[in-house]
Amino acid sequence: MVNAFAYVPAVVLLPFFSFLIALGAGRYLPKGGAFGGITATAGSLLLSLWVAAAVAGGGEYNETIYTWAGGEQFELTFGLLIDPLSALMLVIVSLVAVLVHVFSLGYMNDEGETGLPRYYAGLGLFTASMLGFVVADNLLMAFMFFELVGLCSYLLIGFHFREPGPPSAAKKAFLVTRFGDYFFLVGVVAVFATFGTAAFAGEGSFPALAAAALPPDGSVDVWTPGGLDVGTWFTVIGLLVLGGVIGKSAQFPLHTWLPDAMEGPTPVSALIHAATMVAAGVYLVARMYGFYTLSPTALAVIAFIGGFTALFAATMGVVKDELKQVLAYSTISQYGYMMLALGAGGYVAAVFHLTTHAFFKALLFLGAGSVIIAMHHNEDMWDMGGLKSRMPVTYYTFLAGSLALAGIFPFAGFWSKDEILYEALVHAPGEPLLFGGYLMGLLAVPVTAFYTFRMVFLTFHGEPRTETARDPEPVRWNVKGPLTVLGSLAVVTGLINMVPVKTVFELKGIDYLHRWLNNEWGGIEGLSSHHYADIGPYSSQPIVGGEVGTVLAGAAVSLGLALAGLGLAWQLYGGASPAEHTAKLGGIKDVLYNNYYLDELQVWLAYRTEDVAGVADVFDQGIIDGVVNGVSSVSLAGGGRIRLIQTGLVSQYAGMITLGLIALLVILSVGGGWFL
Amino acid sequence: MILEALIAFSFLSALVVLLAPDAWAGRLAFGLSVVPFAGSLYLWSAFEAGGNALTDGGTIAFKSRYEWLEVGGRSVSWFVGLDGISLPLVVLTTFLVPLAIVSAWTPIDERQSQFYGLMLFMEANLLGVFTALDFFLWFVFWEAVLVPMYFLIGVWGGPRRKYAAIKFFVYTNAASLLMFIGFMSLVLALGDSVSSFGLPEITQAIADGGLGEWFGIAPETVAMGAFLAMFAGFAVKVPIVPVHTWLPDAHVEAPTPVSVLLAGVLLKMGTYALLRYNFTMLPDQASALAVPIGIIAVVSVIYGAMLALAQKDLKRIVAYSSVSSMGYVILGLIVFTEYGVGGATFQMVAHGLVSGLMFMAVGVVYNATHTRMVGDMAGMADRMPVTVGILVAGAFGYMGLPLMAGFAGEFFVFVGSFGAEALPYAPLFTALAMFGIVIVAGYLLSAMQKTLFGPFRLETDYEVGRAPVHDVAPLAVLLAAIIVLGVAPDLFFEMIRDAALPVVEGVSVDG
Repeated sequence: MVNAFAYVPAVVLLPFFSFLIALGAGRYLPKGGAFGGITATAGSLLLSLWVAAAVAGGGEYNETIYTWAGGEQFELTFGLLIDPLSALMLVIVSLVAVLVHVFSLGYMNDEGETGLPRYYAGLGLFTASMLGFVVADNLLMAFMFFELVGLCSYLLIGFHFREPGPPSAAKKAFLVTRFGDYFFLVGVVAVFATFGTAAFAGEGSFPALAAAALPPDGSVDVWTPGGLDVGTWFTVIGLLVLGGVIGKSAQFPLHTWLPDAMEGPTPVSALIHAATMVAAGVYLVARMYGFYTLSPTALAVIAFIGGFTALFAATMGVVKDELKQVLAYSTISQYGYMMLALGAGGYVAAVFHLTTHAFFKALLFLGAGSVIIAMHHNEDMWDMGGLKSRMPVTYYTFLAGSLALAGIFPFAGFWSKDEILYEALVHAPGEPLLFGGYLMGLLAVPVTAFYTFRMVFLTFHGEPRTETARDPEPVRWNVKGPLTVLGSLAVVTGLINMVPVKTVFELKGIDYLHRWLNNEWGGIEGLSSHHYADIGPYSSQPIVGGEVGTVLAGAAVSLGLALAGLGLAWQLYGGASPAEHTAKLGGIKDVLYNNYYLDELQVWLAYRTEDVAGVADVFDQGIIDGVVNGVSSVSLAGGGRIRLIQTGLVSQYAGMITLGLIALLVILSVGGGWFL
Repeated sequence: MILEALIAFSFLSALVVLLAPDAWAGRLAFGLSVVPFAGSLYLWSAFEAGGNALTDGGTIAFKSRYEWLEVGGRSVSWFVGLDGISLPLVVLTTFLVPLAIVSAWTPIDERQSQFYGLMLFMEANLLGVFTALDFFLWFVFWEAVLVPMYFLIGVWGGPRRKYAAIKFFVYTNAASLLMFIGFMSLVLALGDSVSSFGLPEITQAIADGGLGEWFGIAPETVAMGAFLAMFAGFAVKVPIVPVHTWLPDAHVEAPTPVSVLLAGVLLKMGTYALLRYNFTMLPDQASALAVPIGIIAVVSVIYGAMLALAQKDLKRIVAYSSVSSMGYVILGLIVFTEYGVGGATFQMVAHGLVSGLMFMAVGVVYNATHTRMVGDMAGMADRMPVTVGILVAGAFGYMGLPLMAGFAGEFFVFVGSFGAEALPYAPLFTALAMFGIVIVAGYLLSAMQKTLFGPFRLETDYEVGRAPVHDVAPLAVLLAAIIVLGVAPDLFFEMIRDAALPVVEGVSVDG
């Protein structure tokens, strides 16, 4: 039998080759190298499916394949880790990547963009980096590909480099995430110093060593700085690594880069938000969940940040005028939910939402891209309206994605968001941070439904408000195809994990994702949801009427809130020619519109840093170099004075020689005791 | 004999080029400089040595030693050889010189034969510095490097070239004097326990407790005094804050190819000498001063990066960021771990390549625009796509992008220093120094955004088009080397570790 796992490197390398081909020969190829990218990502998708099938068949893979630096202290290696989690993620990433490539034919090629080889090279490298990150078997390798993902986002967000906006947004994206990655890198280094390894899985992996080092076990001794308590130190390490997660997954307060990143081409936004960069952060927490579960404090912090971000970002989405801006804030908010789930011990719920979100968010972005093509690259929703009848495929798929995003039964997002809130609720008693996270997550539900349908109504319903909206440009199969695929997925993905149905109707075994991540088909010991629940700090407590009652009540509350938000949006924006209404918010509107002035704060910080640099420069030029030049001036001046005795008169020289000789004799006779 | 052949060939090429007509001196110099590179590749492939050249039990590759003369009862020899620390630097030198020569073809348009002759003369002396294992021999090469550098800056430099050249020469020469005194006091304090100026003998004699009283001064005091004098002397060369101010002036005035060698190789003379003399010969003194040296390292990193942030001249930005990068090397050395000392050595090579690439790329932009001021240009990517593409890649290399050489060097240093026992508060020092990776991204990204992207604009009166192939080719070669070393650092790091371990074992750590 051919071993699927032998082809895992090919999953990563195929898009990498498409990068090389597009970069080197793209301008000689038809469509600027697009077909190479499509072929490569399609190949990756097929191989990923095969790998997933192999995992389903009981397989697993955890091998070191390359020694990057083989020191005696510890070896730094690259390896592959294939378990249910990474196999699932491989499929998601490669599927979204291939759809984005196809969509790009319509969005980039048909629109007559220049620089296409550079574009497809960027997409290829982006996909390859993300896939490399997904299969990483240790934290260092994960960090390396995490950074490469950041590079690719820089290159693609700044794709239109001749305009002023995109380069600035690209810089911001890299810089803000680099700030987070600084903490991540300190965390990586700390993991090596503490455990001597950064492997994710296996007996000698750092989560396993950490579990063994903690009381009551305590069978392993690890290094801690200054003899710090191991539990505290593990929390510190966890929070350090979390810095990178907060940066890449755009969590508060490092989320500011993401709305600006909308400067990139829309298919790139789909890739960044659904499957690559932003997903990387949450995936990382899931990947090393065995380590995070050891620290209740770290989990509570994750849950609180997640819940807060979910609500915080949702409020900003309410007032935005541009289609992609609304989607950007929804991404931040939805990743907040995933963080909430991870912090609440809902490992499966988080992965579930990661999956459903990947599909419906890719769908919404590509749908937005389709609208943008139709609108001749105008993104202002107030210039749209009435597109429903003019572009039905886009409308119905976009609607499916919106219903999923808003969490309306029975679309995919409903199931995953409901499970997150359920997990947070049943684990919350006695955990104030977690309970706070839950409440904010719950409050974000109606807000999400409201801004989502505000967007839908403004874009597709009512009367067209401009000439372009009355006669939009048609889109082709290469746009409709990906939309249809993703639209279907947004409807049905919930089926993979219908926990409430299982609980209420006692249908054993239909929670497939739970069973998948619990290694029921195959997987690696120590990397299962069951194991995480065992070592985690939480115990479930039904709130009302036992398990079934809590499930039903929770679902009813979140669905009710979502419908309320949807209804309000309908009320305000569902008419033929809706008004803005945002003025009713008064001063709050300005605060929301300006993103709580956080961008201003960060810009202010950047300028103050530059001021400090300026002071340092003055200090360096004035004081430090001033001393150097001072020394040289003194010696030059001194030299000038001494030169005065060089008169050229032989008699004076003879006199000085004599004086010198006498002085020397006196010194030697006193000091050396000649006359004693 | 091969090392002699290598050095002699470089001297001879320098002479030949000096006598050649200006018209083809550049081509000739390039052709001749490829030979030492080929030679160093042979050295690399044939290299079989274990341990450190200076310490007990280390074997020296390509060793050759001839008694030369006697000074004060101690013999001076022609004594050259390589170990895992010096070989990568020899390869780096011979690799950068041909590239620097090609990068000179465009900007150097007068007195070419003298220029290229001096470049090759400098290469010969640099090879001497990295291969010599006798103090006097080493010192001759060390000092002789200054002479061509002085002329290269002073004759072919920018408007303030004389100031910069003299500052460079006097500053580093005064530092050499300090270092010389320090080392000599060490040798004299060793008394009869050494009979030569061979560095291995001296190192091993010190390790065996050979230091005695000297003019009534206790051996520990002599050692500490020598350590401080040598540290101060080498610190200027590295340079370390606060003795760094000659560097930006020298870089700004020096023509591109000279900057490439200055940043790429000459700075490494300082860190190489620190490693050989201070940290290998006097590890206990280094260890006793761990905290102050750690502070100096962190200050160099952060302060240097902040200064780079304040600059408006692209070359000054790269110059100050070198100060920052050298701070990492000092941090790696002081922690006395395998990854620390090895990483510091690797970082020397990596920084040589990355800073060389940055200076060269900025030079290519300058050739076209005749300005290096950030405010004078915008949107260069539109006119020089390939050059800018490589410049962006190089800048990311400088920022420590994984799978490029700079990341490997920095990561080795960080991972080696975080849990180090030789440096108290090592985690704190490491975490502070690591913040440099954020600041470097800040200033390089802003400088790139302002100059390379956006709508095209140029304040100077020049037509900007694609750069000639011989301008871009060295950039591409350097970038390729950076990626190769970033993907496979063990190409060098393996032999470096081998030579670094004895240094690490030489230190006695309490607890």
